[in-house]
Amino acid sequence: MRLAATPGGRAALWSLFAAVVAVIYLPIVTMVVFSFNGSRFQTLPFRRATLDWYRRIAADPQYVEGLANSLAVAGAAAGAATALAFACAYGLVRGRFPGRSVVLALVCAPVAVPLVLVGLSLRVYALSLGLAPSMPLVVLGETIYVLPLAVLTLRNRIADIPLAREEAAWSLGASRPRAILDVVLPAAAPAFVASFILCFTFAFDEFVIAYFLTNFEILLSTKIWTTLVTGFDPTVNAVGTLVLVVSLALGVTAQLVGRLGSRRESRG
Amino acid sequence: MAAGIQARPVMGDPWPAVLPALGLILLFFAVPILATFGRSLFPEGADGPTLSNYVAFAAEAHLVDALVRSLLLGMAAVAVGTILSWPLAYFLAFVAPRGARFALLLLMIAPFWTSFTIRAFAWQLVLADGGLIAFGLGRITGEPVALGFLYTFAASAFGLGLFAAMLMTLTLHAAMAGIEPRLLEASAALGGRPLATFRNVVLPLALPAWVTGATLSYIVAVGDYAVPTLLGGGFKPVLAQVMISTIKGTYDLSVAATQAVMLMGLVVAGAVPLALVRFRGRRA
Repeated sequence: MRLAATPGGRAALWSLFAAVVAVIYLPIVTMVVFSFNGSRFQTLPFRRATLDWYRRIAADPQYVEGLANSLAVAGAAAGAATALAFACAYGLVRGRFPGRSVVLALVCAPVAVPLVLVGLSLRVYALSLGLAPSMPLVVLGETIYVLPLAVLTLRNRIADIPLAREEAAWSLGASRPRAILDVVLPAAAPAFVASFILCFTFAFDEFVIAYFLTNFEILLSTKIWTTLVTGFDPTVNAVGTLVLVVSLALGVTAQLVGRLGSRRESRG
Repeated sequence: MAAGIQARPVMGDPWPAVLPALGLILLFFAVPILATFGRSLFPEGADGPTLSNYVAFAAEAHLVDALVRSLLLGMAAVAVGTILSWPLAYFLAFVAPRGARFALLLLMIAPFWTSFTIRAFAWQLVLADGGLIAFGLGRITGEPVALGFLYTFAASAFGLGLFAAMLMTLTLHAAMAGIEPRLLEASAALGGRPLATFRNVVLPLALPAWVTGATLSYIVAVGDYAVPTLLGGGFKPVLAQVMISTIKGTYDLSVAATQAVMLMGLVVAGAVPLALVRFRGRRA
């Protein structure tokens, strides 16, 4: 739009954007490059190229176990959060009841509380109930962590679905649950997928809550953290690169799928 | 629910839909946190509730320092985020070529989908004394360069400021993308130069989104543990770092709980003024 900025302004905005993008990608590219660096030390100049660090990861049982646990935890938490959030978002959109905004504020409250506090509180509370730190407890913690994300993603989407579609299903004899299943769920499918992927990446990367809710169990995120703080190990570059590539792919997919959904809706 | 011809726009009983999520939050989030708050009033060996933990907190200079550092870090992140996000969001919403806007937005926010920890670690590679920038500068000047930037408060503020910039660009962009282009045209037709149009049209309409982004950024920055540890180092810890070392070191829960309450106090202290900005913006 020509009205939005003077030519000088446009050039300045373009430069700022390019500079910020360059700054954001600089460390990431550096890490990827270092993950192929043959030197044991994290210093330049670059030695010969190697895949050794990637081989080390595959051969390290802690990384392998951590990855398997993290995938399971993130999958379970993302699934639980998305399912709970769908029901909750539907109730919030279609229901008119006192305290609606309070319910929304409560289910979104985890966003407003530092993770150290969420993790510590849940650990102490679980111990007082006689529940030892364990994988199911991590799933519980991560579900709470990603629930707001899922509720907000799905609520916006469900609010866009015209009520007339459900009314049409009702008039054809469908019960409300039936109509939700046949009408709302397919219409919200892109948001459903987007919510699952986003929750999955966030739960997969989260390590503070996970740290509080595990004793000896290893997750990839906590393993990376201990490796980082207990001294240098070049395998972290390779793990970081792998996690980066997968998270980027998932994040971009979630964005594209979510966009696809809203596009189709606005056309149809 | 029985099938019927008449429309039921309003859900008769939404509680079965809402309750599972709400119950999870109440039972495993709200109650544990309130219990932690309560715990701070009961130091080990105390007979009844007492504020002695808080008195001890206020008397410890290094705890008060950590509290102040956390607050400053939250404010610094919001400041950096604000300065960068307004022009970036404006660029993405109005200036970038229409067909490329979504791709450019994605280009900017994509790295933030990946782990906070890994991004902070990657910054170490760039900022460390033997890292990329020091090496590059050393090559240029011909002598070894020590940046002295890594493991400082400024490095933490930088890392969290970039995060805030991304988050706030995202919320601001969503608001700006929803502004009717005709409003900008009207402003221009009335003789408004771009800067005037920004001030009179874009700024007021996007202000609530700024509040949302700033609040979320502030909360993350004030309570973060990863960036202050990896970029800020351990010598001048923030409150979240102090809390974790309290738990590891003494395992005195009531003391850690007191620190947790103070941290939550910081969150509220930052979120309330921001909420007021939004409230006043709405009334005006």
